[in-house]
Amino acid sequence: MFDWESVLNAIDAGVVVIDEHRNIAAWNDWLAKASNLSASSVLGHNLFEVFDRLKASRLQSAIDDAFQFGNSSVLTHSLNTVFPLRNEIGQALIHNVVVRPVYAEKIAHCVLQITDVTISVAREQVLRNRQNARYHAIVDSAPDAIITTSSDRRIQWFNAAAGEVFLLTTDDLHEKTLDMLLSSQENVADILAAHDATEDLSGIAVQVHGTKRDGISAYFDVSFAAWNADGRRFITTMWRDVTERVAAETALDLAREALRLSNEELEQRIIERTNERELALRQLHESQKMETIGQLTGGVAHDFNNLLAVILGSLSLLRKGLPSDPRTSRLLDGAIQGAERGATLTKRLLAFARRQELKLEAVEVQKLIPEMQEFLRQTIGPAISIVLDVPVDIPPVKIDANQLELALMNLAVNSRDAMPNGGTLTILCRANSSDTAKLPPTLAAGDYISISIADTGEGMSDETLSKAMEPFFTTKGVGKGTGLGLSMVHGLTAQCGGAMTMASRVGGGTTVTLWLPMASAGDLMASLTPQSSQPALQEGRKLRILLVDDDFLVRTNTALMMSDLGHTVIEAWSAKSALDLLLQDARIEAVVTDYLMPGMNGLDLANAIRRTAPQLPIILTTGYAEIRSPAEMLFPRLPKPYTQDQLATILDTIAKP
Amino acid sequence: MTHEAASGLTEFEQDALAEIANLGVSRAANSLRQMLGEQVFLAVPKVQMVARQTASSLVERGSHSSRLVAVQQSFYGPFAGKALLIFPEEQSLELVRTIVGEQHSLEDVIDLEQEALAETGNIILNACLATIANLLRRTMNMSLPVVIRGTGETLFGDSTEQDNLVLFLYIDFRTKTRDIHGLIALLMDLPSMTVLKRIVTDYIQGVESGTDQRTP
Repeated sequence: MFDWESVLNAIDAGVVVIDEHRNIAAWNDWLAKASNLSASSVLGHNLFEVFDRLKASRLQSAIDDAFQFGNSSVLTHSLNTVFPLRNEIGQALIHNVVVRPVYAEKIAHCVLQITDVTISVAREQVLRNRQNARYHAIVDSAPDAIITTSSDRRIQWFNAAAGEVFLLTTDDLHEKTLDMLLSSQENVADILAAHDATEDLSGIAVQVHGTKRDGISAYFDVSFAAWNADGRRFITTMWRDVTERVAAETALDLAREALRLSNEELEQRIIERTNERELALRQLHESQKMETIGQLTGGVAHDFNNLLAVILGSLSLLRKGLPSDPRTSRLLDGAIQGAERGATLTKRLLAFARRQELKLEAVEVQKLIPEMQEFLRQTIGPAISIVLDVPVDIPPVKIDANQLELALMNLAVNSRDAMPNGGTLTILCRANSSDTAKLPPTLAAGDYISISIADTGEGMSDETLSKAMEPFFTTKGVGKGTGLGLSMVHGLTAQCGGAMTMASRVGGGTTVTLWLPMASAGDLMASLTPQSSQPALQEGRKLRILLVDDDFLVRTNTALMMSDLGHTVIEAWSAKSALDLLLQDARIEAVVTDYLMPGMNGLDLANAIRRTAPQLPIILTTGYAEIRSPAEMLFPRLPKPYTQDQLATILDTIAKP
Repeated sequence: MTHEAASGLTEFEQDALAEIANLGVSRAANSLRQMLGEQVFLAVPKVQMVARQTASSLVERGSHSSRLVAVQQSFYGPFAGKALLIFPEEQSLELVRTIVGEQHSLEDVIDLEQEALAETGNIILNACLATIANLLRRTMNMSLPVVIRGTGETLFGDSTEQDNLVLFLYIDFRTKTRDIHGLIALLMDLPSMTVLKRIVTDYIQGVESGTDQRTP
């Protein structure tokens, strides 16, 4: 037979046997040692009186169930601390308790078995720490931020790098979400939302824009790993800072883009410059063409004028010399009329060639234009209404008033022809300064008065517009116009230092603008100064005249006309010969000289004569407008070609007393 | 009793069985509440009797998982067999976390899992078996709990005993923050099934005659 007590004491675990009254029936040595209570001190005592704290534990109900139903129960250290037990060195013993009924006829006893699990708990702890140490050695030395989140994206764990990069602390655990690390609600949240708990996230990597510590924004490549534990889904994210790489890529992209843009810009500028150059070349070509045409026209007109002078002079002498015969007279009249029309034509050509004789003076357009209004109305007819917009305080322009009137009339007629069904003609004057207004490019800096004549007519195509100023160009039917109107206006504005611009659109009317220089104070004075008086000769007196002209035909013809008028003519073929003759012949009473001559011209001759013989009357004959300076105005002039009557008239004025 | 006869439990009998089971788990809830100091709700909304052969697939289907963890206890006496508290593996950790408290780290919970699960299963299974013992007015010889991990096949595949039936009690385990669904399976031989049937019949009669059979 066993000695049960010895057996109990031999067991390396705590054993207590209690009876139905919860009194301690057995208490082994192990337990006596661990509880520091001897068997003799506890046997027969109620367990719950010996250990008062046990009343609050589940042990009581476990024992009740054992007796009542035969339940076997386990009370583990994980959920319970049952007995106050210590080991030999005084450390608290971690223990599990098993409660079992002792089956006999009926359950009269219950055995409590107490197991020391301190060592296994400690072993688990050590194992875990060792495992964790390896794990932490890897993840905490990782340069990338590693953050584990639960499925609601709350941060559950992070490594040292994550703490450094995002300045996370343990206070942030379970509180902060991944979203807070992002600068916007972007990819991470979307990716997590787009994958349900069963999906594998490995292999998914995205680039996100996040916010580092101190609010510094940064780019990260984020990769994912999903795992399940504790019945929950966790996602580990690894954040690699790629800000520098992204910045480099961005810089590269920007540089490429800049290069592309500058290439485009360069191309664009080349195109623009090419266009500008082409435009300038075209303008240059255009102005050279006009210049050439002008010179040609001027030269032709000059020679033509001389010829016409000869023809007119000869014809007038012929009419005088021939006996009166109606048939001959009619023929002569026809010839004279033809020559006079030729003279008109050459005058217009000279105007275009900027060589007409202009009497530049300060003209007040606010007076000139309204005065013209009635005449304009009669010219263009009642179907066209005239609107004038001429400020009363507009400064005067420097122009030949008659030529300006003629130009305006020409333009008005053009407008009328452009508006066969009526419309509106608007004349608008404005003062412009190169400081404030955009002037035509050909104009020098300065102050200009612009006079715009706008119609509401059919307009012109670009092609027509480009040719409109060329002489003899006309869109009007044959016989309706000379084609010299706009050419003349153009010549006039250019000659007086201005410009003419045209704007037109098919169906949108035409606007011609004359840019005329503003009159200076000097111009104003000049216009007020009366012509200086010429030394006068006695009226009707027959004079001894020195005629100077390099053109033999003209000279001979003029000499004939003068002789016919009763004057004595001494001919010279050049200025030099004229001066010689003057020295030889003191009786010469007047000098009539051509202006344009080889060597010394007419004006130089006149000035030379004036110095030696200031009282000698001098007449300049000219078809050109080279004479400009006020000094030249001192000499009376006879425009070529002239008739005998015109010659007689001017000779009479200097012959007056 | 055949499988057909067993599954032929009337709806009324099934309701009575569910009520008995609820008596059991409410007892367990009391124990847990005492231990945790927190309100714990346990309920058995449904019972189902199946043949052992089909239990394996049913439990996996019902758990939406093939990885299961169970706390098993055997019992002997007039009423004999095995009782298993079964959860999907993830839910078992969830259960432990609920019991040991949220303040524990995941690692701590893993360390404690085995023992805590065994104890929790022990409390719940004890309560259910105690209720049956109470209705029988007998004590039973019950083993200590063991934790088993595996598939449905692991839990029910050892089919050495013929004609065994499985009574499934669907159990909802609920705290303030969690809602865990598990199963209690009672594997019984034919005599135990007869006893169970008698318990149900007696229970119904007791309720109808107004006597309280639950008093120990």
